[in-house]
Amino acid sequence: MSDWFQDLWAAYRSTLGFAMVNAFFSLSTYAVLSAGILSFATVTYAAAGGFIGTQLALQAHLPVLLVLPASALVGALLAFAVALVFLRLDSHWMALASLALVLITRVVALNATPLTGGVNGLSVPLFFPFAALAGLLALTAVVFWRLSNSWYGIAARAVREDPAVASTLGIPPRRIQTIAFVVSGAVGGLGGMTLALMLQFLSPETYFINIAFTMIAAVVLGGSYHWAGAILGACVFTALPVIAQAVLPEFEKVLNGVALLLIMIFLPRGLIDPRGWKLRRAAKSP
Amino acid sequence: MSDLLQVENLQKSFGGLTAVADLSFSVPSGSVTGLMGPNGAGKTTVINLVSGLLRPNRGHVVLNGERIEALPPQHIAARGIARTYQNVRLFSGMTVLEQVMAGCFLRRDTSLFASFLGLPAANAARRAVARHALELLEQVGMAGRGDDLAEALSYGEQRRIEIARALGTQPRLLLLDEPTAGMNAQESDGIGRLVHSLRDGGMTVLMVEHNVRLVMDFCDRVTVMNFGRALTHGTARDCMAHPEVQEAYFGRRDDAERIRALR
Repeated sequence: MSDWFQDLWAAYRSTLGFAMVNAFFSLSTYAVLSAGILSFATVTYAAAGGFIGTQLALQAHLPVLLVLPASALVGALLAFAVALVFLRLDSHWMALASLALVLITRVVALNATPLTGGVNGLSVPLFFPFAALAGLLALTAVVFWRLSNSWYGIAARAVREDPAVASTLGIPPRRIQTIAFVVSGAVGGLGGMTLALMLQFLSPETYFINIAFTMIAAVVLGGSYHWAGAILGACVFTALPVIAQAVLPEFEKVLNGVALLLIMIFLPRGLIDPRGWKLRRAAKSP
Repeated sequence: MSDLLQVENLQKSFGGLTAVADLSFSVPSGSVTGLMGPNGAGKTTVINLVSGLLRPNRGHVVLNGERIEALPPQHIAARGIARTYQNVRLFSGMTVLEQVMAGCFLRRDTSLFASFLGLPAANAARRAVARHALELLEQVGMAGRGDDLAEALSYGEQRRIEIARALGTQPRLLLLDEPTAGMNAQESDGIGRLVHSLRDGGMTVLMVEHNVRLVMDFCDRVTVMNFGRALTHGTARDCMAHPEVQEAYFGRRDDAERIRALR
């Protein structure tokens, strides 16, 4: 029995690790989405957090436990700067501008050789215990739980649903969305560094469109109205290709897309849907 | 009676369309003032200008002696103006209580950060706000419905929740944009009585209203608009008797006679 368990652990340990890393990215996307902003800029925060964090560890010999908060800080500062520019744009243009930012990020990563290693990439010979990764994700989840249960959470939901109405209630939409950006940046930067620690190797391709796709899919699947939806979605979207490869290897590539389509048709508000709970509760009570 | 709100020479155009043209009127403190006018007269634009969702091209909005026309909506709300919407605009996915809590954002009495940390003082303040929100629901006749999903309720109930949400900001001036649209006579009278009880509690109300009977029964003063200008001010009865008002609503007598002569 324990042999069986150890085999399973050895086989799927890295899947679980990547699920947790992806959870950081989808939480970062959820952070802005929950204030009414669709942004792919998480990729940029992740790249900044990952590359700068790695250099801090390699050049300044900072211990990993200090590198992680530093990566979060880098992401948060970058996101604050992004917010100053992006919050002048309307929603569709903001999403497009964030895609442009992702493309710029890759060009910078290719050319800023001293920081990123350029086309050769960067080896990350650092060790980070599995339990610490889980602990970090749990801590991040607590932050999101507190955020959603605080006045910030109420204000963010109001701004997401109708910024004009929120403003006439005295809720400042721009300030709430700026906070959302900073939270998104911190979690994105953290995710970027944990990805570096998982892969132990970084290249300009590490932080690119594939992350943007995974995180948006994860949030849509898990449910974009609750932070737990982002984590659940990340787990499912990380596990899905692995399961597909074991069960239906021919269909691995299409399965992600099919899953996303099915979710959008049958569960448009995702797996975790607080509004659905409220409706069902209302239907039960006379 | 002093004026809580003064609108002076207000002008707003959208491209070539002038929605509000040189409009002036005032809302006396402690009154229920009605804003009437045919469709397209510019009433809702006035409400949007006063609440800050739109900025005028010219003119001033003065609240208690302070010019507010250039302020963003959240600052105007903080100075004591709250509003409802012609087509109810509640937040999707929120319960009734959560809607009203969102309205209490300005009166939360704690910082966002203290509330995030869950400090005891912040939690106590939050509970006080929740109690206050329940009182507001009781005041608008929606007691015991706090846990319902707002979008699952009837239109009339949603209007009451929207009023409770606006009251959460503790306004001095409440702007109601057609609060009885789509209601029957009984429900409309209920809203009228609610407005009176708010006025008796010291609030000033400016309401856009189409229902002439309701304006007659519940408004202390009326301003009638047409084509973005004020036609007349006064009591509801005087306004209805005013020839220009009758013309705005029903057309001109000699036009009618000329048409009749053609047949």
